[in-house]
Amino acid sequence: MSLLAALAGGFAGTLVLTTVLRAATELHLTRMDLPFLLGTALTRERTAAKALGYAAHFLVGLTFAVGYHALFAVVGRHDWWLGALFGLVHGLFAGTVLINVLLPLVHPRMGNPMDDATSVALLEAPGFLGRNYGPQTATVTLVAHVLYGIVVAAFLGQTR
Amino acid sequence: MTAGAHDRGAEARSGYAPLRAYAPIGDGRCVALVADDGAIDWLAWPDLDSASVFAAVLDHAAGGSCRVAPTVPFAVTRRYLTGTNVLETTYATETGTARVVDAMTFRGRRLGPGRELQRRVHGVTGSVPMAWRVQPRFGYGQDATRLGWRSGIPVATAGSVALAVRTFGAGTPQLEAGAVGGSFATAAGSRTTLALCGAHQEPLVFPTLAELDERFAHTVASWRTWTATRTYDGPWRPEVLRSALALKLLVYAPSGAVAAAATTSLPEQVGGGRNWDYRYCWIRDAAFTLNALLRLGCAPEAEAYFWWLLQATQLTHPRLQPLYRLDGGSSLRERNVALAGYRGSRPVRVGNAAAAQQQLDTYGELLQCAWLYAGSGGRIDAEVGHRLGEVADLVCTLWRQPDAGIWEVRSEPLHFTHSKMMCWVALERAGQLADRGLLPHGHRGRWRREADACRDYIETHCYSGSLAAYARSAGSEDLDASVLLGLLSGYGSSGGNRWVTTVDAIRRGLGNGPYVYRYTGGDGLPGTEGAFVSCSFWLAEALARTGRPAQAAALMDELVALANDVGIYAEEIDPRTGAFLGNLPQGLSHLALISAATAIAEAGPQ
Repeated sequence: MSLLAALAGGFAGTLVLTTVLRAATELHLTRMDLPFLLGTALTRERTAAKALGYAAHFLVGLTFAVGYHALFAVVGRHDWWLGALFGLVHGLFAGTVLINVLLPLVHPRMGNPMDDATSVALLEAPGFLGRNYGPQTATVTLVAHVLYGIVVAAFLGQTR
Repeated sequence: MTAGAHDRGAEARSGYAPLRAYAPIGDGRCVALVADDGAIDWLAWPDLDSASVFAAVLDHAAGGSCRVAPTVPFAVTRRYLTGTNVLETTYATETGTARVVDAMTFRGRRLGPGRELQRRVHGVTGSVPMAWRVQPRFGYGQDATRLGWRSGIPVATAGSVALAVRTFGAGTPQLEAGAVGGSFATAAGSRTTLALCGAHQEPLVFPTLAELDERFAHTVASWRTWTATRTYDGPWRPEVLRSALALKLLVYAPSGAVAAAATTSLPEQVGGGRNWDYRYCWIRDAAFTLNALLRLGCAPEAEAYFWWLLQATQLTHPRLQPLYRLDGGSSLRERNVALAGYRGSRPVRVGNAAAAQQQLDTYGELLQCAWLYAGSGGRIDAEVGHRLGEVADLVCTLWRQPDAGIWEVRSEPLHFTHSKMMCWVALERAGQLADRGLLPHGHRGRWRREADACRDYIETHCYSGSLAAYARSAGSEDLDASVLLGLLSGYGSSGGNRWVTTVDAIRRGLGNGPYVYRYTGGDGLPGTEGAFVSCSFWLAEALARTGRPAQAAALMDELVALANDVGIYAEEIDPRTGAFLGNLPQGLSHLALISAATAIAEAGPQ
């Protein structure tokens, strides 16, 4: 169970997560676009935001993989189902706190519930479990994060 | 000046103020309606489309309200403080004069409540006995409301929503019968402050008087700064600026969406069932909204609105819903709530079933928006251009279908003329944007061919020789004021004979003095309605665009006089009585005023 394997898992997991979210968008299940949300924190140019956002998203994915690696080490095992469980908790935390509360507060172009007529928002906030972006958003993001957790665990190999 | 009384129930109002008596105040998140007798009879909290905490306008017994008024007969005058959405109501009584200033405050820098509504009473002359009563009824009057005390402050709660009533110099608050109230008397120079402090999913914040004063000053200054940066300098400037301020109340700051109105179920016919929830964003208003924002110099709001439009429509792309929620959601399930309705006008609806209709004009609105946005220097990148191209492709296949039309008829779909014209606008604008390299070139030829076919259909099937006008729908002999939007959006030649005779026919057939009805013929709903305010402004603009600016200006002068005492319009007006009907403040009415004023100004000397 090496850090390098965790980073490789984080990269592959983010690839899977991003692909699932993008496919869900094409299927009109959600308007969730994590790279776009991250990228528009850096620029208001939509195309540049997407490019920057993908880079930022993969960095975040690698960072979380390091966190997973630490948790697996503490627990002493890294089964696929434990990865799935971490992914589920990760997805719930992201939907209820990270993108619901924290992101609107720090994102310079995203509206938040405290905004009033003195401010102008360019991006709507995702809302609780991202439901502002479509009723299926919660399901899609949870599935994507569970897959991410499984992939990270899988890259760390079988628990001996 | 309006004669008033201290007890609404004892007079002819029968518990309900006329809709014309209401003035909106707001903060970019929610809007309250203040009647000229001192009652706040509508407030959805914490957001514009949330459930109500005050809804006496929809049920005077169970809806809840917040009233601050003299306890003796009075005469009342009102105005907004210059350049603001802060309302000042002056009560003149036999014993003295008092002023009540109402504002929903902006948050400022200090820790403050999530939402705050201040009612500030100033003694002007003599002494005026005043009473106040706050009767919160959460969840459209359906949720159990608990009243109690926190640190000596009256607090009402229901679930995750709470409301504190903070008072300074307003007598000793008393809890009684589900309300909190008190009384006091003004003296010359006296000051009393009553603040409703709201919290949603968070603890209440109890502000000090100094903090309330600071936020009030900040709010007035912020509104004035915003108004001072509006660029319009043409005729009817005060009315245009008031309309801009009313429109700003409907801009939902957390997302940039613009609500059609601040209320639900204010009736189009008193006692009837034409009662709808307008607290959502209609795509049909999109081009008008963007155009008005751009013309008024509100570039940040215009950009935010265009971004919101692109985000909200993504879930249903390339199809468009007629309306979306302010947070961008597409689910708007319609249901009835158990309120008595304004003067018995039931049902009271929440949500809007029109979201499921097919309305083809929305596609024209979206492409027109993109065209206006690009024309103002806004950036349309490759991805957005690709999406807009897919919308135009869809219009190529949809324009031949019948739809529910701009008026959202609940009868069988028809080939509405206005819808066809807006499909032509969609395809024409797509072609023009492609010419500028902003949309993919590949399908440009197809868009142009379909636009030509659409125009041929309109000219062949939607123009009535006997009416000498574009009719309501293909093969129909009914008139519809919405076809004027085709002219305003650029369909056909504005100086052409067909448009000139159409404008005349609509004025003749749907007009009643300055008033204009929407259409003749059925719509699948029982009952009647008043004249539609925005149709009158569309007619004024159409007169200007067809080379008759003097007639347009004369009509405009009549129309600006139809607003209420503080310059606000509802959706409709009863031509017989002048009474307001429908939801208010109605964004489309104010948008149409702005558009007409700017168009008439551009048309030249009147």
